[in-house]
Amino acid sequence: MKKILALLLALTMVFSLGAAAFAEEEVDVSGLKVGVFWYAFSDPFLSTVRASLNEQLEEAGIAYDDFDANNTQATQLEQVQTAVTNGYNVLVVNLVTSGSADAAEQILQAAGDLPVIFFNRAVEGDGEEHTVLDEHENISFIGTDAPEAGHMQGKMIGEFLVENYDDIDLNKDGSISYAMFMGDAANVEAIYRTQYGVEDANAVLAENDKPELVYFNESNTDKYQLDPNGAWSNAAAFDFMSTNLAEYSEGNGNMIELVIANNDDMALGAIAALQAAGYNMGDGESTKIPVFGVDATQVAQDAIAADQMTGTVKQDNVGMASAITGTLKGIAAGDAMADAVAAVAESDDMFSVAEGFANKLYVAYAPFTGE
Amino acid sequence: MQQDVLLRMTDITKTFPGVKALDHVSLDLERGTVHALMGENGAGKSTLMKCLFGIYSKDSGKIELEGREINFKNSREALDNGVAMVHQELNQALKRTVMDNIWLGRYPKKGGVMVDERRMYKDTMAVFEELEIHVDPRRVMSTMPVSQRQMVEIAKAVSYNSKVIVFDEPTSSLTEEEVEHLFRIIDMLRSRGIGIIYISHKMAEIKRISDTITVMRDGANVATRPADELEVNDIIRLMVGRELTNQFPPKTNVPGEVYLKVQDLSGQYSLLRDVSFEARRGEVLGLAGLDGSGRTETLECIFGVATRKSGAVTLDGKPCRNRNPRESIKNGFSLLTEERRATGIFSILNVRENTVIASLKKHLRAGFILSKASMRKDTQWSIDAMRTKTPSQETKMRSLSGGNQQKVIIGRWLLTDPEVLLLDEPTRGIDVGAKYEIYQLILDLASRGKTVLVVSSEMPELLGICDRILVMSGGRLAGEVDAKNTTQEQIMTLAAKYV
Amino acid sequence: MNGYLKRKTEEYRSLDSADKRRYWIDGLLNNALYILMAAFIIFTAVVNSNFLSASAIANVLTLAAASLPMALGIGGCIVLTGTDLSGGRVFGLAAAMSAAFLQNRAATKLIFEHLPNTTGPWIIAVLALVMLAGAVIGLVNGFFVAKFSLHPFIVTLATQLITYGVILMFFQINGNGGGPISNVAKLFKDAVSGPVIRIESKNVAIPWYVVYAFALVLIMWFVWNKTTFGKNMFAVGSNPEAARVSGVNVFRTTVTVHTLAGALYGFAGFVEAARLGSITASTGLNNECDAIAACVIGGVSFVGGTGNIGGIVVGVFVLRIIFVALNMLGINPNLQFIIKGGIILAACSLDMRKYLARK
Repeated sequence: MKKILALLLALTMVFSLGAAAFAEEEVDVSGLKVGVFWYAFSDPFLSTVRASLNEQLEEAGIAYDDFDANNTQATQLEQVQTAVTNGYNVLVVNLVTSGSADAAEQILQAAGDLPVIFFNRAVEGDGEEHTVLDEHENISFIGTDAPEAGHMQGKMIGEFLVENYDDIDLNKDGSISYAMFMGDAANVEAIYRTQYGVEDANAVLAENDKPELVYFNESNTDKYQLDPNGAWSNAAAFDFMSTNLAEYSEGNGNMIELVIANNDDMALGAIAALQAAGYNMGDGESTKIPVFGVDATQVAQDAIAADQMTGTVKQDNVGMASAITGTLKGIAAGDAMADAVAAVAESDDMFSVAEGFANKLYVAYAPFTGE
Repeated sequence: MQQDVLLRMTDITKTFPGVKALDHVSLDLERGTVHALMGENGAGKSTLMKCLFGIYSKDSGKIELEGREINFKNSREALDNGVAMVHQELNQALKRTVMDNIWLGRYPKKGGVMVDERRMYKDTMAVFEELEIHVDPRRVMSTMPVSQRQMVEIAKAVSYNSKVIVFDEPTSSLTEEEVEHLFRIIDMLRSRGIGIIYISHKMAEIKRISDTITVMRDGANVATRPADELEVNDIIRLMVGRELTNQFPPKTNVPGEVYLKVQDLSGQYSLLRDVSFEARRGEVLGLAGLDGSGRTETLECIFGVATRKSGAVTLDGKPCRNRNPRESIKNGFSLLTEERRATGIFSILNVRENTVIASLKKHLRAGFILSKASMRKDTQWSIDAMRTKTPSQETKMRSLSGGNQQKVIIGRWLLTDPEVLLLDEPTRGIDVGAKYEIYQLILDLASRGKTVLVVSSEMPELLGICDRILVMSGGRLAGEVDAKNTTQEQIMTLAAKYV
Repeated sequence: MNGYLKRKTEEYRSLDSADKRRYWIDGLLNNALYILMAAFIIFTAVVNSNFLSASAIANVLTLAAASLPMALGIGGCIVLTGTDLSGGRVFGLAAAMSAAFLQNRAATKLIFEHLPNTTGPWIIAVLALVMLAGAVIGLVNGFFVAKFSLHPFIVTLATQLITYGVILMFFQINGNGGGPISNVAKLFKDAVSGPVIRIESKNVAIPWYVVYAFALVLIMWFVWNKTTFGKNMFAVGSNPEAARVSGVNVFRTTVTVHTLAGALYGFAGFVEAARLGSITASTGLNNECDAIAACVIGGVSFVGGTGNIGGIVVGVFVLRIIFVALNMLGINPNLQFIIKGGIILAACSLDMRKYLARK
């Protein structure tokens, strides 16, 4: 079976090389049958990536199918195994267990010799760098530098605070109290965002001789509130924030003065709770508590435009999709994986190859405050 | 009495795969009469009734109610047309109140959707007063004894203003006194012109209450005669097709030394107080009393189904704590429970599984594999020893008749090699022929040196097979009589002692 | 009343010492849930005095009101010895539909482009529509449960998956590409989650949906206790065979219970759309678990035929009080799961004990 596949792939490559000789840009992609494996169709940001990717793949004439693992790593593994037997010859995988080298290895084992492009969710956790990506020829990772969003969010928060310090410090006690909403305890991006969103903001504050941020509830030593379902959901943030606001208010002199959320959905949940208490109405009269998220979903952009939310970090869904499409085209043209990745990195400033890697492509984040 | 046929069933035939359950059965029920329907289990009585109520559809034949042909599709339709049934196995919503159960399916309404609770209460009280039933309509069913629940069931049938009421073994859970009450109710219903079909195994009752008797055997009519033309022995002969010279087998057991001692037994959650008695090897000891007098509770307390508050049980001088059934079985006790369907049988399992369930350990090979051959052998022994009528060991328990189910359960307990058998109403709902066989079994067991305790509501039964009879009353032991020279009157006097 | 007390006192005096001890132990165990909750509330209030402030109580009320409709619906399924796993997804679908049909017409991204402007009648029409959608799924549940005697666990597991598929498709409409549906009309928000009472000085705001939840509780109490349907539901849950023999239409009762449950999930989703203002495909995930937990804590037993509306309300409040208290105490979220699980286990064991301790 594998031999036949390899032969087919080789044949396609020969054809595509021939085709490339005639028309420089036009790559023959008809030999590709791409399986795209999503961790969960219900994820709002990834849904936008999926929409962009589907559009681009259709435009490029690449045959593809989407699979939904519904947040279960075992389901994803079974889907990959089935897809391999079903004749898919390139796998594009959005790993369920983000940052698990073991999970990635299992997928690679199932994939055999087929090229695999991981994207969005990290395949190597903290301290596991190079253990997966360097060990396999035919694979690559396209995503963001996991800590980057956290760093960017923290820096944006720090700068915003320095500029508006006295307005934000509602009770004029000299320090800013904040609430933090974490999306998922097991996700490296969530862990980094929870950590750097505060640490980097503190760094900026320290440079400007301002005191560090103070978590609003001193008895909570975790210094975050976690979505119990690990779903990064607005409902969880809403329930937490309403409960917080019942106890912490301007009247009591201990109002939460800053809200940091791991993603936009949770930020919007917190805003809904604030609005129920009469804040962030976007009417120019009510007090606006600064709320920061990540992803820059359309809804968050609208909220920022309506003066209800302060900032977010833009993760580029179209860019992510075009990086994947570009890499797929390279594979179709017979390029080695590293070359395909390098070619994509060349094509736009938004992309860069990660330091020390040949097959890890970063799509840049950008701060978004609606300006 | 003039001919005024209320319900006429003509040439009813019903065939199940391989069995002709009803073969051209006819039955005429006249207005204002009690028509007894008799026959051994499996004779076709229940099937005939199920055809009447539309639970089974008949293959051929005709059913007419007041001259009009009817063909009920379900019990509700039958009820709406004035045909009601009081079921043998009580089928009630136990967590609901008495009046909820009576008006179930036809609650009085107020304003379209609302249930008129006040009217429900009033109507229930009216029916109860008429029938002299003393039960609070607001009481939850599960808190009442079986006999009262049965009364509620009867009240329900009456409340439908039925023209025809079928009583299926109505007295199987009633005491003598309650039976008298029931008969008063039946007399009253009869005098109102209601036609009653009365299914029972109890000869004395039938003779007393019925006007006409129809005997069925093997799915066919054997005879329909006025009640006063048939003697008990005639009926038995018609039912079994052979002469049964005696209702009870000759007593062959000889009681030996004292074996089981019960001292000052009291129940934690029951009314049982300070019950003390002794039983000998090879003795059949009867427990008589009214329903709710503590007979069942005594057995349950000895066996560890009910919590013991204080008191001691010793077997052969060895104290038995019997905290739960497992411990009791290990100590050589076994209990045949009162409500066969609820706590005795596993209806969807087969005969073999039902037989070996209490003695699985005997069939273990290598510590964890159950030997099918060994289980088959034991089950066959049980079927032969009990003379159980079953097509095979793989037959599902629910398709056996009540008597045969009871035999399977007794067989189950015998396989655990018990020393003491506690039998709670062992012949309830069982036909005459099978009863005789169970009496024989009990006496055989006693002859082999086992100690047998029998609880029964039928006094002749206790008098016929026991050596001594303990009489319970109000949770206490009211006295002890020698079965050979006592009378039913003496027992009743004792039973009323602490009421 | 006096006579009752007197009789009880006499009964108590007549007990011997062992029985007296048992009387107290039984009393304690039968009310253990309430005693534990009272102790827990007192403890929390001592550690954090804000727990009993007007705003904190208003918050508990508000949170409970949001989860009440769902629990009221699922309670009926449990009375029938069943369950409903599709609840959370039906809730999610109803929330998504409500948000999509009641978007601010000026929003940049519209799911449906040609809809009337948001007016009072239109809001009511959408409410009717989403409740109808929920009812249809409930009808399917009930039909398969009643017609084929399938266990509700299986049927509702199937409809849970089917509904989720429909939700995912719904989020693809008009190039939405799975993104959240948001920007709901202000009139809709005001009518549902806008304040009915607001006391600025005390930091208290009670939204309208608390009033709606209260009305629903009254309606459901009436339905369960005063209507033929309610009585039939309990009878079927207690003994379906007895109900059938008595001429109760078991099929129709079962279907109606599930349909009503579906409609209530629809209502709950409608409220959620206004409450959160932005709905994603994962909205409603696992909501049925909390609703089931609330019911069993409140004494709606899986043995069937028992339970009452008051118990469900208590169950919902217990869960919400625990949530709020643990947060106010700053308890680690991992521990919160353990505590919640422990309470469900304890509450149900104590409840079953009442049925067990008879012999």
